[in-house]
Parts: sequence; structure tokens; C-alpha cells
Amino acid sequence: MKTYVKIALFFVSFIALSGILAALYMYNLKHTDMAKAEPDFVISALVLQKAFEDDETAASTRYINKILEVTGTIASVKPAENNILSISLVTGSDLSSVICTFPAIADPSKFMNGDQITLRGECSGFLLDVLLNNCAVIEDKK
Amino acid sequence: MKRLTILFFLLSIVFAVNAQKYMTKNGYIGFYSHTPMEDIKGDNNQVAGVLDISTGEMVFQALIKSFRFDRALMEEHFNENYMESDKFPKSGFKGKITNLSSVNFSKNGIYDVTVEGDLTIRDATNKISTKGTIEVVTGGLNANSKFNISPEDYKINIPGVVREKIAKNLEVTVTMKYTPLENK
Repeated sequence: MKTYVKIALFFVSFIALSGILAALYMYNLKHTDMAKAEPDFVISALVLQKAFEDDETAASTRYINKILEVTGTIASVKPAENNILSISLVTGSDLSSVICTFPAIADPSKFMNGDQITLRGECSGFLLDVLLNNCAVIEDKK
Repeated sequence: MKRLTILFFLLSIVFAVNAQKYMTKNGYIGFYSHTPMEDIKGDNNQVAGVLDISTGEMVFQALIKSFRFDRALMEEHFNENYMESDKFPKSGFKGKITNLSSVNFSKNGIYDVTVEGDLTIRDATNKISTKGTIEVVTGGLNANSKFNISPEDYKINIPGVVREKIAKNLEVTVTMKYTPLENK
């Protein structure tokens, strides 16, 4: 085989392989590791809930799909099936709070009502509460 | 959808007699699509629901962005391509238990029920009727149901290229653990 043909073949194979590997990487990508992600906003649960209560449209535009680091007091801890945990944070409202839902967590019993906590998660939106998903507890801020 | 939100909020506002209303904010809705090409599973653990045991009325709302998938890319496609969740952020159900009298809410046990109502996904609403169970337990009620929906019924447009990867019928599982709505 002529040298230039070999080089061309090598190049084409390299690009094809890179393309396949990139596609496989994207295909299998898991969710952002919240413990390592840079938050878009650092905010208290009180302020966050009030923002949605005062102007849901503006708060939605500002916060939905963003990574929020939320500090607050634990109002309730609710475990669900499949190792899912939901932690509700105290806000200025009795009816509406900030709820962070976690994938499998090691030990739900270490979270007690009344504890101060910092959580980082993606804001999914607002039903009766501000809802965050893919949450992680930020340990060094406790 | 706005009417549903208002109705939902009204149902959950504290009134004089609340012993009849039950609520959850971490209800579960999951859907499952099985094809030889691929299995797709989405789980939502942030469903808000209210059940009024005096009338059998059942209302729930789910954020589309609260559906979680194993793979980030699948979740992105679900939100951006199929559900357009920026345009249609919520999905909801408004209906009632049609055989309410066959449930004894004062006696612990599992009761078979039929629930009928309107299911809204994106901007499409369809009447559905499904069988399920209500389990009366100490301090609450657990509602369970499984039913199938077809994406086309809700104007979910699946491009021909990937049509074989998504089942013609999606299996939807609903699990709500309600607790009484208390006077505050």
C-alpha cells in the first residue's frame, strides 16, 4: 500500500473511532455530580420560596434548570421507594416549602428535623413547593 | 392547566373540615417503555396529589422536569424533544373514584377501586379509566394503579428514526402515599 493511502486510512479510522467513542460517552453520560458542580445561585430556602410565591414567572425564568445551592432548616425528611429521599426545608410559608429529592443516600436517619443543611440541586420548577432534583448534601458547609 | 392548578390549590387550602382530605407531595409516577431495541424508564417522586374521601375526588400534578432517567442524554431528549417541558411544564389528572362506597375508610385493608378522569399531558387531555387499589393504613391511605397510555394520544411526536425504540404503549405506574391534611 502506498504511504499516502496508509496515512489517509489511519486518519479516517482515527476520526471514525473518535466519533464512536464520543457518541458512546454522550450516550452513557450520567447526571451532573452535584458535589463537584459549580452552583449558579447560592440562596436561602426562605428567599427562594418567596421568589416563586411573589412572581412565579420571573422566578421560573431565573431559577429553572439552574444549579441552586440552598441553605435552610430541615422541616421534614421523607423516604420513598427505591432509596429515594425527599427533604423539605423551612420557608416563610406553612403551605409551601423547598423540596429536594435525592437519589440513593447512605443513611437517611442522620438528617433530623431542625438541622441546618446546605443542599445543591437542579431546580425543576414549582408545583405547591419549589422542587429540586439530583440533590447532594454539601458537607463542609454544615 | 391553569384551571387545574387553581382547583388543586383550592382543594388543598385549609378549610373548616379537613378530616376528609388527604394529601401527598412526594407521590410517585413512573413510566416504562419496553422494546427489543431499548428499555426506557422515567421516575417522578415529586408528584403532588389530593384525595377527598367524602367525594372520591382525586387530583394530582407532576412537573415534567421531575421525571428522572438513568442517562442524562435520555432525560434531555425527553424534556427538549418529546415533552417540550419548557412549553408544557406540568402534567395533571383530575378525576374520581367511581365505586367510592365500596371503600371503608375507617377499616384498614386493601380495596379495589376504579378511577375515571381527565389526564392532561402537554396540551392534550384524554379521559381515562383505570383500576387500582386504595389501601387504608393507620394514619394514611396508599393508592396504587397501573395503566397504559399511547404517546400519540398526547401529541407526543416521535420521529420515524427512533419510533422502534419507544413502545406503542407506555406502562404508567402511580403510587401515592397520602396523609391527612391537617388544620394548621
